[in-house]
Amino acid sequence: SGPCRPTPSPCFRLFLAPFFSQEDAPTMSYGPTLPSVGGISTFNIAHGFVESLVRGMRNSFLKDSDYHHLTQCDTLDDCKMNLGETDLGLALQNMAAISPPLVQRAAIGKLSEEFLYLRSQSVEPLSTFLDFIQHEYMIDNIMLLLKGTLSGRDINDLISLAHPLGLFKESTMRSIPTFESSPKGYADLYQCVLVDTPVGLYFSKFLAESAQALGSAGEVRNVLEEVEIEIIKASLQKFWLEDFYAFCEKLGGDTAEIMCEILRTRADTHAINVTLNSFGTALNEPSIRASDRRRLYPSIGHLYPHGTALLATVGDADQLGAVVSQFSQYAPAWQVHTSGEGKSIDDAFYERDVAALELAFEGQCHFAPFYSYVKLKEQEIRNLVWITECVLQGQKGSVNEFVPIFSQHAPWRVKAQGRR
Amino acid sequence: MSDIPPPTRMNQQVFKGKKKAASSGHRLLKKKADALKVKFRDYAKAIAETKGSMASDTSAAFFSLTAATYAAGDFHHKVREGNMRARVRVGAGVDNVAGVKLPVFTQLDTGGGQQAESLGLTGGGSKIDACRTKFEGLLTALVKLASLQTSFVTLDEAMKVTNRRVNALENVTIPKIEGILDYISRELDELEREDFTRLKKVQASKEEKIALKKKEEEEE
Repeated sequence: SGPCRPTPSPCFRLFLAPFFSQEDAPTMSYGPTLPSVGGISTFNIAHGFVESLVRGMRNSFLKDSDYHHLTQCDTLDDCKMNLGETDLGLALQNMAAISPPLVQRAAIGKLSEEFLYLRSQSVEPLSTFLDFIQHEYMIDNIMLLLKGTLSGRDINDLISLAHPLGLFKESTMRSIPTFESSPKGYADLYQCVLVDTPVGLYFSKFLAESAQALGSAGEVRNVLEEVEIEIIKASLQKFWLEDFYAFCEKLGGDTAEIMCEILRTRADTHAINVTLNSFGTALNEPSIRASDRRRLYPSIGHLYPHGTALLATVGDADQLGAVVSQFSQYAPAWQVHTSGEGKSIDDAFYERDVAALELAFEGQCHFAPFYSYVKLKEQEIRNLVWITECVLQGQKGSVNEFVPIFSQHAPWRVKAQGRR
Repeated sequence: MSDIPPPTRMNQQVFKGKKKAASSGHRLLKKKADALKVKFRDYAKAIAETKGSMASDTSAAFFSLTAATYAAGDFHHKVREGNMRARVRVGAGVDNVAGVKLPVFTQLDTGGGQQAESLGLTGGGSKIDACRTKFEGLLTALVKLASLQTSFVTLDEAMKVTNRRVNALENVTIPKIEGILDYISRELDELEREDFTRLKKVQASKEEKIALKKKEEEEE
């Protein structure tokens, strides 16, 4: 954990906070001027109010009893009635009838409202931290807009489909379809639009990396057209993870300790998923494995560098299992995947993530609760959609296959207590 | 029966020929109707089987889609933006059953190749693959069911037409011809009897004349 640098008059910084224009600040603005997070004695000066907000929001998660009532429902109207008593009730009360997509939309809207409120109340360095959380969704939205305009869909439809947490300037978004699909058009698109977005940095890194790999001048157009959108997204996510990790490290203290561990696990999950899901696709060709697929592995994480080197040589599921089982953190997840119970490695990863994120709420005076809140809310939304879909399709047998949050009956808690 | 055919032997031959043709036609049509009925029952059974498994297949397929969305996030708009080139096409063919041409659908794989193969790259790829397989199975069942149902409908039509013809022959044409034949034979018999009676009478009157003449010769 880093030292707690005493900053001169934090109150002065608090006073100046409204004048920091967050909109246009590039992401790498955290130079030597990064304010300190503060330790036990100074954290609450700048961030106490916002942290108390997020701790209050922690109470809004659905409890075991709520989940129990929901899983007993037979129709969606019953679900609506049960949800009416929870925190989500206000958002759903204006709907005549609910459906899984509507529930998802309402819950995501509520999450982004709360998040943007937190963001508006925060000062540096918390605001940059929250910006980093939003960048993940911005990457998704940019890919959606790019792919959508390439296929000729209307920009208004695409904007309505975009994730509310990842919206950037309206004018930027609307200008994407105005570029033509020609080499000059792509170069213009990159120079005028993508560079200005907060994730523009990741794009330039991606293009530099591709240029290096392609060996030639690596025109923007070739890269954007020929590389599959999913691979571009995976690369951008990799750069985002590395950037976020570097930022957290710089913050120091408890934030660095907890967030870096979470991000390392996330990077490893990314690497394992990319490897596992590339079997049967072009990425698994021996020649492409070493170059293209290897480039998608982040350089943070427990698996780097030895694990990723091994992963780059993996050709099928058995080899992957052999590599993953060597690492004690991921061996259990792989065992769940191969046990054939119907659970896949994604379920195992979700469970492990929820366990780690819940722990982030223990302990105070660091930024991890904010990240944890967003991610746990995402898992809750996934759970809700799963339960409502099961109720709608009448699949009562599988309705309990979700991951409960902050629950005393969670699988890892029960196991830990059993061991005691 | 305004135009009653004159009861001549030639007409009797003509109508005998007609009756033979009608009965052999009736026999052939009955065979065709039986063959169609057998095929009809087969199709009905196959359709009932396929429909029964369809319901569970469809719900399983859509549930696998839910599971894939849980694992990989919402990917349906990514699929929609992918290149829309058909990987499977339906070919229409014709099947000949007892002379009836039935439409048949077959599933053809174009060499379209897999698009969006890296759909679940950062998570949920295996669930998406499972979803894909389930829907492919559902598509095969759909094409098969569509083929069976169109054949069934066409077969039904053909069977109705054939049965109508069989009934018409059985209940209208053949009885009519038989009626005419009966009438002709009756008339011919009657003519023969008339001839016979005339002959007898002529013979009788001739014998009378001869007897009278003999009596006159004896008196002289």
